[in-house]
Amino acid sequence: MVLAVTETIQDVHNDFALSLEMAKEGGQKVVGCLCSYSPTELILAAGAIPVGLCGSTQEPITKAEEILSPDQCPKVKATYGRAVAGTCPIFPLADCVIAETTCDGRKKMYELLEREVPMSIMDLPQKPETPAALNHWIEEVRQTKSFLEQQLGVTITDDDLRSAIVMGNKRRKLITDLYYCRIHNPGPINGLEFINTMSKLQYYTDFDQHIATLEKFYSELQQLIEEKHYAHSADQPRILWTGLGNSLGCSKVLELVEECGGVVVCQEGCGGLTRSEDQIVLGENEDPIVAIAKRYLRVTCACMTPNSQRFDDLERLCREFKIDGVIDLAWQFCQPFEIESYRVKELVKDKLGLPFLHVVTDYSQSDTEQLRIRVEGFMERIATRKKYADRRL
Amino acid sequence: MNSGGKKYFAGIDAGSRTTKVVLLNGDSSFVSAIRPTGLNVGETAEKVLAEALVAASAQTHDIQRIVGTGYGRVSLSCADTTVTELSCHALGANCISPDIRMVIDIGGQDSKVIHLDQDGNMVDFIMNDKCAAGTGKFLEMVARTLEMDMDNLSDIHFKGERPCQINSMCVVFVESEIISLIARGESAADIVSGVNHAFANRIGNMAKRLGLKQQCVLTGGVAKNRGLKDALTMYLRTSLTPLGIDPQLNGALGAAVLAQRLSH
Ligand code: SF4
Ligand code: SF4
Repeated sequence: MVLAVTETIQDVHNDFALSLEMAKEGGQKVVGCLCSYSPTELILAAGAIPVGLCGSTQEPITKAEEILSPDQCPKVKATYGRAVAGTCPIFPLADCVIAETTCDGRKKMYELLEREVPMSIMDLPQKPETPAALNHWIEEVRQTKSFLEQQLGVTITDDDLRSAIVMGNKRRKLITDLYYCRIHNPGPINGLEFINTMSKLQYYTDFDQHIATLEKFYSELQQLIEEKHYAHSADQPRILWTGLGNSLGCSKVLELVEECGGVVVCQEGCGGLTRSEDQIVLGENEDPIVAIAKRYLRVTCACMTPNSQRFDDLERLCREFKIDGVIDLAWQFCQPFEIESYRVKELVKDKLGLPFLHVVTDYSQSDTEQLRIRVEGFMERIATRKKYADRRL
Repeated sequence: MNSGGKKYFAGIDAGSRTTKVVLLNGDSSFVSAIRPTGLNVGETAEKVLAEALVAASAQTHDIQRIVGTGYGRVSLSCADTTVTELSCHALGANCISPDIRMVIDIGGQDSKVIHLDQDGNMVDFIMNDKCAAGTGKFLEMVARTLEMDMDNLSDIHFKGERPCQINSMCVVFVESEIISLIARGESAADIVSGVNHAFANRIGNMAKRLGLKQQCVLTGGVAKNRGLKDALTMYLRTSLTPLGIDPQLNGALGAAVLAQRLSH
């Protein structure tokens, strides 16, 4: 049974660190990624194991604040803390790390993180739709390929890249199918359980086994749907999650939402559907590096401008998943998501006419009661709207 | 509906600072009671409820339904239903006048702006973030630094001739800012009116972010500060509808209205 993750993020990390150590003893290399812009196909092509190293827990933050000022977003502090606090069992296992110049906090933190581990910091153009942006990014991807070859002592051929693209696409397709299991109403799994499971499944040492686990999870969900074993009822408010804060370890607001009767059925953004449904399209005779570069430049993070694709996606997903309300979470001190939230509000509230809640918080539990009022109020708002819609029918 | 003489509907608003009870009579008149919440929310609520019953010359069994709200609502074991103060403020304001479309509530630890429809449904809201900037706590800090009581923030405001520019909305930093203004020889009146204007801008911007509506009321203990009210009216360029009741009672009134609605 893949379902029902009852472990904490620490348990998941500890277990994974063990299998990672075994893989390393068997001669495998490990490459850390810090963000959705990291082209994992390069790592797969190098025969190494990609590992997400983004910080999603409160505990390393205190250590990070010995160096970074407290006025940074918790993600930046926790990621740095994971490297320097000496408590993360996975971080020391990375042979090298790939990162990108996304937001200012990350970019400047990487200058310090580089002291801990060899890094390839890719220069990410931030107006991705301009023609020059792609050319520049292609060169960055090429350089990272050379970086990996050097660090890992391997040669990455075009054939290696082509098969890595097939692997990556297969994985993304399965993950996308998993997300779409939740279009069913009533659904087979609650948001929190789904997110915990997905957070756990992102870690793998053996690719084929990873695919098999994802397939198993998928058939479990399908079976639940067939047998009408539902985890939530059809009239619970269906929430779309956007922005940040939807992974194991930093999901306190999401937990509150489901405690208060909502169910998070769709996630947009990092940790969500839009990061998996976009595939690498490799044209005939196309340089695989170019195809990889194109795909990763399309990631719709708020560090990009004008990032219009995010809004098209949001609108489509609200309709597809029959959404009753949208929650947009920004971490405290995160300028990109905080400012972009205004446009999310314009879309959700003004254009689609759906209840919208913007939440700003951090990883600590200190504001749980304040957040509860907002979340409960939001649920009351959705309930009223539903009541009136029913009356109109 | 005949409910055997149970003609009262109770609303309890267990706020972070004060607990308020409104007992609504079937004919829409009401009595109220209020006292500091203290440490034991449940116990205080029962005491305030008992006080309100005395004022109404009624007994516990005369109450048909109790709705609880406010920060302490989960501790109200006597409540039949609990809802957030967001919905209650909307219902309270609607009870005062069905034309009201916006409530600005400044509480002890948070402030909020609420939109409501003609039926008293809360249709949108915005609340201040984590910190205490822009809450009643901030004004308390100002009063303490100036060694005044809160009422003076209201009276002295209108004596200010050249309101000081106040830059810090932080509860911690405003103290040192005020001390340096005093050291520079600024008058207390200019400082107070400066504070009220800065505070009004902060709250006013929150209201603008949600969207301004005409027919707005100001509620919460801070609404008694006429200086702030004046500054807010100037900043929003709209008049505030007079509430007609103690502005601290609006949430409890809304809870009582809900108790009545749920009983029909
Ligand atoms: S939100 Fe942006 S910066 Fe953060 S991990 Fe996702 S893509 Fe990277
Ligand atoms: S995009 Fe925002 S949340 Fe993510 S690392 Fe940057 S500042 Fe932090």
